Amino acid sequence: MKKTGIISAIALSAIFTFSAPLMAAENTILESYRAAARQENPAFKDFSSTRGQAFHTAKSGDLSCASCHTENIKAHGKHATTGKDILPLAPSANPDRFADAAKVEKWFKRNCNDVLKRACTAQEKGDFIAYTLSVK
Amino acid sequence: MKPVLVWDIPTRLFHWLMAASFLGAWLSSESDQWLSAHAFCGYLLLGLIGFRLIWGFAGGYYARFSSFLHSPLSGLAYVRQMVAGKAKRYIGHNPAGSQAIFLLLILGLAVTVTGIFTLSGEEQQASFGIRLSVSLGRMFKEGHEAVAGLMLLVVVGHIAGVAVESYLHKENLARSMITGLKAASVDEPISRPYRLVSLILALAVVAFGIWWFFYALHQPIEKALGLQEGAISKPNVAFVGEKLADNARWREECGSCHIAFHPNLLPERSWRKLMAGQEHHFGADLGLDAPTNQALLTFLVTNAAERSNREAAFKINRSLKPEATPLRITETPYWIKKHREIPEADWRLPSVKSRANCGACHQDAEAGTFEDGAMQMPR
Repeated sequence: MKKTGIISAIALSAIFTFSAPLMAAENTILESYRAAARQENPAFKDFSSTRGQAFHTAKSGDLSCASCHTENIKAHGKHATTGKDILPLAPSANPDRFADAAKVEKWFKRNCNDVLKRACTAQEKGDFIAYTLSVK
Repeated sequence: MKPVLVWDIPTRLFHWLMAASFLGAWLSSESDQWLSAHAFCGYLLLGLIGFRLIWGFAGGYYARFSSFLHSPLSGLAYVRQMVAGKAKRYIGHNPAGSQAIFLLLILGLAVTVTGIFTLSGEEQQASFGIRLSVSLGRMFKEGHEAVAGLMLLVVVGHIAGVAVESYLHKENLARSMITGLKAASVDEPISRPYRLVSLILALAVVAFGIWWFFYALHQPIEKALGLQEGAISKPNVAFVGEKLADNARWREECGSCHIAFHPNLLPERSWRKLMAGQEHHFGADLGLDAPTNQALLTFLVTNAAERSNREAAFKINRSLKPEATPLRITETPYWIKKHREIPEADWRLPSVKSRANCGACHQDAEAGTFEDGAMQMPR
């Protein structure tokens, strides 16, 4: 009894350890941002979901990404001005997220302009996607 | 003199149901959110009058038109006699009372028919397959209101007449309309109760009511049972508008940050200006590529206010000065006038938040129809 418990625990942790990078690698959009980030900065190493999370909640003026998308990105968000319902940001809660490259670029363009009043770097975008993918 | 049956049961049922539907229609006439109940009262009234017209030939002695075919002049003469306090007592309808009945039947027909045309014009509800233009519907609405006012006058006159008569002849006429009995000598004609007809009439009214309000009775139960939104009962006579022009790209592009405002809510010149200034869209840069922008503009222009037969489109467009090109629907004079009575606190409710959040009150905002009957103030 105890033995099977241990085996399944090992099996489970194995699945988790291997599947996490596997799933991240599956996101081709993230890969293209990785290429762009290398171009942007030769010293680029990798994206960081921790940095992405900090970016998500960091305020610039009155707004942060979380103002509309909420701190819990698995939950529905709400547009800060209009009150319009926004579907969850995390692909684990909404598989349509980060699936269409043109759409992702469109929204980064709009929202970075809205919140930061500038375009986001490939590093910021990649960190952000890594963060959303890390939320299970 | 002994109590005899004068008013048969169908006549009494008709009388009180008509009074109730008239009262109900008045009470539900002010607010758009009661439109469904208002229309129910109207259709009920129409059905009741239809029954009464048949009953005027087929009913009991005192219910038949032939028993109270008095001329308007004799009605006037009777009123004068009443004022003088020497009016003759009638077992059935007296000459003045019969004028009220004929008038109420005619006005009742007029008020329901104009009401139906108002619905089919102004609200674009095709009653009996008839659909009129908004402007024609508005004319019918004016007529509808005028006839309803006239009808109320006749009702007031009728009630006053009943009160004076009851006082003059020391009998309670209103009670007679409940019990059906009046004191009369034995040689006067007597009516019959007509129990079966009464039962059929009552059942028909109840069935119509259940059919009309079926969704309201069922929705709480179905919601408690946790049924899916689509499986929950909908009104049989749904006050939802016709299906408007739709476009997947428009919904996708324009419906992300705010509801996709239907093109019929602004005129063509507004849409052109709005899409030309997409880099400065209320503080945001939409960043749409040229083909997308062009496709959206085509849809917006094709279905703009001046090309729509919707009530809101008609009125918004009419309210705009030719030189005005508003970019916000909430800047149009019609919108401002229509929403002027909403307290500031209501706008700040968490469920509302913004004047752009049409869907907080207009349940059909996404569809763009803005039916009067689909309006519900948030609690």
